[in-house]
Amino acid sequence: MSTPAAEHAPGLTSADGIAARARGLTKAYGSGETTVLALDSVDVDIARGRFTAVMGPSGSGKSTLMHCLAGLDTVSAGQVWLGDTEITGLKDRELTRLRRDRIGFMFQSFNLVPTLNARENITLPMDIAGRKPDEQWLDRVIDTLGLRDRLGHRPAQLSGGQQQRVACARALASRPELIFADEPTGNLDSRAGLEVLGFLREAVDSLQQTVVMVTHDPGAAAHSDLVLFLADGRIVDEMRQPTAESVLERMKRFDVIRAPSDDGGGDDGGDGPAGPATSGED
Amino acid sequence: MLKATLRSFLAHKGRLLLSALAVVLSVAFVAGSLIFSDTVSRTFDRLFASSSADVTVTPREDLESSVPTGAVRTVPASLAGRLAGVEGVAAAHPDVEVGNITVVDSENESVGPTTGAPTLAVDWHVTERSVVELTSGRAPRGAGEAVLDADTADTKGVEIGDTLSVQAQPGTFRVEVVGIATFTTTNPGAALVFLDPAVAATEVLGSADRATGISLTAGPGVSDEQLKRRVTAELGAGAYEVRTAGETAETAAEELGGFLDVIKYVMLGFAGIAVLVGVFLIVNTFSMLIAQRTRELGLLRALGADRRQVRRSVLTEAVLLGVVGSTLGLAAGIGLAFGLIRLMSAFGMNLKTTEMVVGWATPVTAYAVGVGVTFVAAYLPARRAAGVSPMAALAAADTAGTGRPLRARAVTGSVVGALGTASLVGCVLAGETASAASLLGLGVVLTLIATVIAGPLLVRPVIRVLGSAFPALFGSVGRMSQRNALRNPRRTGATASALMVGLALVGGMSVASASMSRSFDEQIDRTLGADFVIQNANFLPFSQEVTDRVRDTEGVGLVVRQRFAPVAVRLPDGERVETTAAGYDDRVDDVARVTYAAGDTAAALADGNISMDAGFAAEHGVRMGSTVPVEFPGGRSTELTVAALTDLEGGEGFGMQGGLVFGIATVEEYVPGGQDSALYVNAADGTGVDDLRDRLDAALDPYPQVQARDQADYKELVRDQIAVLLYLVYALLGLAIIIAVLGVVNTLALSVVERTREIGLLRAIGLSRRQLRRMIRLESVVIAVFGAVLGLALGLVWGLCIQQVLALQGMTALAIPWGTVVAVVVGSAVVGIAAALLPALRASRMNVLEAIAHE
Repeated sequence: MSTPAAEHAPGLTSADGIAARARGLTKAYGSGETTVLALDSVDVDIARGRFTAVMGPSGSGKSTLMHCLAGLDTVSAGQVWLGDTEITGLKDRELTRLRRDRIGFMFQSFNLVPTLNARENITLPMDIAGRKPDEQWLDRVIDTLGLRDRLGHRPAQLSGGQQQRVACARALASRPELIFADEPTGNLDSRAGLEVLGFLREAVDSLQQTVVMVTHDPGAAAHSDLVLFLADGRIVDEMRQPTAESVLERMKRFDVIRAPSDDGGGDDGGDGPAGPATSGED
Repeated sequence: MLKATLRSFLAHKGRLLLSALAVVLSVAFVAGSLIFSDTVSRTFDRLFASSSADVTVTPREDLESSVPTGAVRTVPASLAGRLAGVEGVAAAHPDVEVGNITVVDSENESVGPTTGAPTLAVDWHVTERSVVELTSGRAPRGAGEAVLDADTADTKGVEIGDTLSVQAQPGTFRVEVVGIATFTTTNPGAALVFLDPAVAATEVLGSADRATGISLTAGPGVSDEQLKRRVTAELGAGAYEVRTAGETAETAAEELGGFLDVIKYVMLGFAGIAVLVGVFLIVNTFSMLIAQRTRELGLLRALGADRRQVRRSVLTEAVLLGVVGSTLGLAAGIGLAFGLIRLMSAFGMNLKTTEMVVGWATPVTAYAVGVGVTFVAAYLPARRAAGVSPMAALAAADTAGTGRPLRARAVTGSVVGALGTASLVGCVLAGETASAASLLGLGVVLTLIATVIAGPLLVRPVIRVLGSAFPALFGSVGRMSQRNALRNPRRTGATASALMVGLALVGGMSVASASMSRSFDEQIDRTLGADFVIQNANFLPFSQEVTDRVRDTEGVGLVVRQRFAPVAVRLPDGERVETTAAGYDDRVDDVARVTYAAGDTAAALADGNISMDAGFAAEHGVRMGSTVPVEFPGGRSTELTVAALTDLEGGEGFGMQGGLVFGIATVEEYVPGGQDSALYVNAADGTGVDDLRDRLDAALDPYPQVQARDQADYKELVRDQIAVLLYLVYALLGLAIIIAVLGVVNTLALSVVERTREIGLLRAIGLSRRQLRRMIRLESVVIAVFGAVLGLALGLVWGLCIQQVLALQGMTALAIPWGTVVAVVVGSAVVGIAAALLPALRASRMNVLEAIAHE
């Protein structure tokens, strides 16, 4: 509920287990006068064994941050590490291998290969790598996600929620160092969304996985251990033990802060008075 | 609506490009063949028209034989004197022009064309009509001198002062080249040796009083037709052929026409294949474009466009494609004709590319073919587009649709397939060549259509089997490839169809030709008993000297000569059959194995006797001892007694209907001046076959036109003749494959676009670029191999049926060229890999993030 202590910058953690780290991470699009900074010298640590949510208004750079941390996108400046491996400067082939072996992904939609059944989708990263899945672990993941009786189904035969569960299982199956989930509940109704979030929580709590989730839904963010707030390419705040209400409150302040530059008035109908700037900012 | 159509056409120009290529190829072949044949006939019409004498008198043409005998028909040279007296004749010249000679240089290398065009000995008679002019040296004077045409001199490196040997029917003589003559018009490709008119007849015809024809020049004010009437009146009707310049040119052009028709039909065959395969490509492209644009079309419908407008919009796009393709194809056709003309020049026929003729029919045909084909091919997809419901605009975009159910195809395919199978069965059971052949044709067409229709139904079962090893070999990449190929059976089937058509054709033709080869092999094994056959590779007759030389060779035991004679026999059933008879020396039994139904070799070859095929005899009411009147060329005739009946299996091949055989003395008597066509040689006792071969090779060194062949060589020679047919089929296949590859590229490129998000996902979760490329390559390979397997299966069935038809012609052996079959399957896999190159590269270059975000 409380704003973070002022003594440390938002996004940085003092915990010893760091799953991923970025320093001076900058991502610019375009060149010359039309340059747009999607990420402006971001420093961030992702704590191991935790569920981190990244929030921010549209265009704040949250997806770009995830893509850069996951080795999907190249950076303009700065450095990114996954564990002890610096991934900035790696070649495509090494990045591909890194994604395959050390990172799990969940996307908003179109997570599964339509020609493969659920089980084949789950083991796909390991199949691609030519590795045998750890059957015990796989069984545990499948049971945790309640997919036992769906393994032979093709994606087209599964509901949206079931598809996301399969995607979640795939992300977990190779026991990656880090799981990135990009708006995993964006396309689901609230019940299925809650289910998926519950599984991600479960993955962290019982399976000791590390999850980074990008979302703009405060309710989804509330399932995390730590919320990082992004605005205009910078991490401007963080929140531990978030609740939906506190995150929503915090998000509303963005609207207010942005309101003057938005030619007056946020979409929220003008509620939420200009609160005092928190110590986390600047 | 037109604006929307144009926009859409331009938006999809990349995809349409491949279809346009198919149109371009077919139009190019159609236009190229038309331009080429127009150019050639115009050139030769001009040549013959300018070079023919006002009126020519030549020997009467009767009993044209398809098998050359080597005999030259002549008229008395004195006829020129007699005709000079006819009113209106300004000049009469006895011509000498013979083609039964061989000319060799001092190293015994032939200076004749290697293309099959003749070597001609001609008298040097310069008029304003001559097609050559002396460009260096001087005219030939007396025996032992000659002028050579410049093209031959160039290609064979003959210079003034060189000595050549001319092997003519009366005997070989040597000449010194004293001049070089250059063609002032198109050189039709022959080698020309000009001799002094004073000695030419003696040297090449054996008598000064002979000529191959008389050229007459009309006096002032006398028309060619008038002159012809007067000459005919003087000579009497029917004794000679009398032709005006126009008629001569026409006859010459007709003779050449046969050769040109071959080129024309070959080109049209290519065009046909290109059209046939191209249609699949176009249908497929339009179907895919429409599938991709379902939502867009639905929106158009929702906004108020009616079905007809949608259909018209698609067809307009097709017509635009056809027009663009035809225009490019026409241009490519001109290029193709240009190339062909240059190619003919390389073979010695010097056509001028500057005189290329593009008649009005060429562009008309080009556009008719190009636009017509595109329109027809796009019609079904257009109808389907018109059937898109306005609701489609609202429906969610499905990922890489699986197409509609295939029940209608199953029904139509089965019905057509059953009809086709019935025709093929009928063909196999038929006992008569003509009906078997037409049933075969019908069956081939119907089964092809059935396979094309039912192709998509076969995709699942066949590819399940073909790709079954993929998951084991290539893991999940292999599994995904196999399943991707199965995703849209309609599309996979249509893509593979293009390849299937070409390969079915090749499969059928290769079985047929392999069976023919084996049949001939077996026939040679069965019938040929000689140690060596001495023969021209073109089966043309050769001069008497060769025979003498062979007979004089040490170690030669027996020489049996073979000569051919054009004959007409009047049979007891009243029918007059024109055919070619063969004459042999006595001891045929020692060099060949002939099975007799009645009588024996001695009786057959005895003076005044004849033998024929037992089946032919029965058909025409001929019995042992029957007397049949036999006509020979030049009005000679006799009556021969049927003294033997043979049991020929392939009796009706090669224009040798009836299998007529008599003693060589009969040929010598009634076809004077003929040449031997083959010598069957056995080694003398105590002489090894290898020794004899060395000696024969040495003895025949001065005669490069003939070679000594043992059984194996002889089989090889026959096989080579059949192989020519096969090379043509392979060339057709090549073209079909090029177009089929375009189709596979097209399909894969589209699949890659459709699966952009899927590819992005796969890349994100760790599929490497190389694995991605392999996945697309494997899909391509499995599609190509599917086409190959279907095509070969169909082709093998056709081949079996063709063989059954051939069996009726005596070619009973069946051979399936498994080597070719395996090579084609492997080749199709390579084709698949090649077709996947660009789509795979494109897929692997995709930006992962953009791909994931792709809508």
